[in-house]
Amino acid sequence: MKTIVEILKEIRPEFDFTASHDFINDGMLDSFDMVTLVAALDKNYGISIPGTDIVPENFQSLQTIEELLRKSGAKP
Amino acid sequence: MSPIQTAGQVFEAVQKAKAGATAYCTNFFPVESKLQNWIDHDEMEMELHDGAAFFFRKDRNFLHFYFCAADAMKLQQYIAISSKIKMERIVTDLVGNEAAVTGLLPVLAPAGFQPYAQLQRMARIGQPEAASGDAQIGFAEKADNRAVLGLLENSFDRYAEQIPMLYEIESAVDGRQILVARRDNMLAGLLFFETQGLASTVRFWTVAEQFRSLKIGSALMQCYLKTQKAVRRFTLWVNANNENAIQKYRHYGYAPDGLIDLVLANKMIRS
Repeated sequence: MKTIVEILKEIRPEFDFTASHDFINDGMLDSFDMVTLVAALDKNYGISIPGTDIVPENFQSLQTIEELLRKSGAKP
Repeated sequence: MSPIQTAGQVFEAVQKAKAGATAYCTNFFPVESKLQNWIDHDEMEMELHDGAAFFFRKDRNFLHFYFCAADAMKLQQYIAISSKIKMERIVTDLVGNEAAVTGLLPVLAPAGFQPYAQLQRMARIGQPEAASGDAQIGFAEKADNRAVLGLLENSFDRYAEQIPMLYEIESAVDGRQILVARRDNMLAGLLFFETQGLASTVRFWTVAEQFRSLKIGSALMQCYLKTQKAVRRFTLWVNANNENAIQKYRHYGYAPDGLIDLVLANKMIRS
């Protein structure tokens, strides 16, 4: 299973996601990237992230993405 | 149809449309500051349905249509009964990869929407190379606002390319987001961009017809890249039929990244 950082790197290889605490304000992820990321996370973790959770605040940092995965039933 | 007073109303309506959605579909990706600006200028209205929210934004003599729906069936069902869509001049954008966009087209076609234009996104990764400056390139000033608007309206398609209103240009000038080239005391060309952190988007890049072939466009682009030292990812949208523009962007290292924007227009615009 890939880590969140590995998945993010596949989508936006040009950025260092471990060096940012705000992917949205730092311009590292846009709305379209979020849709791609959700599909990749769903596939990787065998979950289905609900549409209501596809909001920028859930994709701001590694911590918020981890929290979203936990909420969506992903196993650590 | 309800007028919108706050961005909160919009986000609440979006959440309602998303609640319990199994195949949520949308073409609405609002940036809060822009949305608030549209609301403050009385440009936004919404139409609420069970499982769908429709938003209409006034732009000159037509409307932009944005939708959030629990699934494509609900979208099709409510589009069919929207009097606004039947009566007004409307454009809407389907954004995504080719498969996602073409999948939604049959949902909108019965309401009279047909392809009007197609834009493609191009991206350039990495820091800009060092470039020489041009003394005649600088940031637009307040006195340039109307000339900037005029050049944009003469150069771009208002239905397909989301030309800003005068107040948006004023705000962009204040934010130093518009580079201009002057020749003979006239606005010869401009490059309008938006930078957020490590990403920057060129919204418009044009040279007035009488000043073409003087390397003004090139000077604008080099100046832009030079001012964006911290940026790692550069993007822009270009009309997919504009081979000349695409070649120019390729020259500066941009390449298509697979995202397209299919602009649809209803019968009121196409007739």
